[in-house]
Amino acid sequence: MGESGPMWLFMAPSVLVIALVLFYPFFSAVYYSFFNYYLGSQAITFAGLDNYTNLLSEERFWITLGNTFFIVGASVALQLVLGLALALALYACTRGVRLISLLNFLPHVVTPVVGGIFLKWMFVGRWGLIDATLIGFNIFPPDWLGDPGWAKFTVIMADTWKFMPFLMLVLYAGLQAFDTALLEAARIDGASPWQLLWYIILPMMKPLILFVVAIRTMDAFRFFDLIYVLTNGGPGTATETITLYTYQIGFRLLEVGRASALGVLTLIVVAIMVAALIWFMQRRGREAF
Amino acid sequence: MKPRYQATLLVLLSLFTFINLVPILWGLLISIKQPADAFSIPPTLIFEPTLLFHWEVWVERGFFSFLINSLIVAGGTICISVPLGTLAAYGLARTKTKHASTLLFSLLAIRMLPQILLAIPFFVMARYLSLIDTYLMMILAMVAINQPFTIWLMRSFFVDVPVELDEAAMIDGCNRWLAFWHVVLPTVRPGLAVTSLFSMLLAYNEFLFALILTGSRTKTLPVAIAEYGGEDINYWSISAAGAIGIMLPPVIFTILVQRHLIRGLTFGAVKG
Repeated sequence: MGESGPMWLFMAPSVLVIALVLFYPFFSAVYYSFFNYYLGSQAITFAGLDNYTNLLSEERFWITLGNTFFIVGASVALQLVLGLALALALYACTRGVRLISLLNFLPHVVTPVVGGIFLKWMFVGRWGLIDATLIGFNIFPPDWLGDPGWAKFTVIMADTWKFMPFLMLVLYAGLQAFDTALLEAARIDGASPWQLLWYIILPMMKPLILFVVAIRTMDAFRFFDLIYVLTNGGPGTATETITLYTYQIGFRLLEVGRASALGVLTLIVVAIMVAALIWFMQRRGREAF
Repeated sequence: MKPRYQATLLVLLSLFTFINLVPILWGLLISIKQPADAFSIPPTLIFEPTLLFHWEVWVERGFFSFLINSLIVAGGTICISVPLGTLAAYGLARTKTKHASTLLFSLLAIRMLPQILLAIPFFVMARYLSLIDTYLMMILAMVAINQPFTIWLMRSFFVDVPVELDEAAMIDGCNRWLAFWHVVLPTVRPGLAVTSLFSMLLAYNEFLFALILTGSRTKTLPVAIAEYGGEDINYWSISAAGAIGIMLPPVIFTILVQRHLIRGLTFGAVKG
């Protein structure tokens, strides 16, 4: 097809809208990040890199960044292990697979805020189902939402509950796309189930695993709704992720310039992590040959 | 495989599924119990179910009007995002140049954008233009988040349609537009439905943008339910009833698109 003219016409409306609602706001935010800009006050002064250097020299920035890494890292790892185990179980199972996967998928489609409230009724002190059950067995429960350590644990469990189904379903689809002949051949050669998993299934799944981990990492940095409902970053700053901190600065304190700078820093961190993942993927890819 | 092994597997999977769904089931129970029953431990399993709280939250506390707001936002998002995305997706699916793949990957890179970074300028613009608490800003924000996804997903459906179909139509005298409109588009109708449903779910579930861009007139369901929180025990029954109601559309969504879930979840990259 030699005529590229009409094809670009198909894309033009969408490109215009993307420019208006994505690129324009994005570049505005980058622009704000170089100014002392408080919403509501008229005085907007150029600040250079001040917003950035102030953030980088501030303890709370590093705490929230650390929290984000810890929560994202722990929950993505947990989701991956659970999701993979579940995908393998579904793959090995012969009956009721469709119903089981559909039911397990529900936590993922439930409106995140609603999911957060459901989980709150699990973890909330004294009246929550977990506490009530533990007290029933005469076990004194920890303060799931009020203790800094346990609050982190609770948030990680919440994230896992919400996103494990996504990994389960995608990895299960990946397993189904396999050439079963290879597995059959290995089985006939006497490979144990663990050997099958370690030497055949996992290496074949590697691209898909890295793909879902990359997607989850990008999304986990946006993770807002569940934490907002469960702990709102508390106690103190124990579960405050970088997104929640940005929300505080931007929409509570209305410091638009500083919040934008924090958003840009988040973007840089996410970009570095995704680039590292892609680099890792390609390096491993070459090793295989 | 051995039947006993299968049976064990099925029991374990069912058990896991049950535990996984306990938070939802517990919420359901709270919503149909009288508060006195709801807080008794061990949970009373024999009780007289009541729909009183469902009635109260949806009718008396105005959740029905928040549902209308949610549907307006979701509908507006679909009306802008899906037609534009479909056109662009067709253009991209039928262009084999380097520019097309660069464009596709930059769309994927947009996914890395922290949403909060977009939320700031949207908030500033809305304040500046006095568009806080209007549907327009909220819909535009949802289009911003949704458009790259729509293009990728629709593209995966167009790629499945053989190019020969377009070519045949064009040999028969159609121009590019007519070939698209009369020949190719009808074959991707399931794709349009799936993409619309995914866009709807995204807009319906959105919280951050709704929190900052909507107000008393345009409040959507997630913001409304978040106000009741989960903390104050006096509101448990009511907010449980609200939460269960809000959950129903996404559940129906899952059942409707179950065959295309994986494709939607992976931007069309994995065709489950």
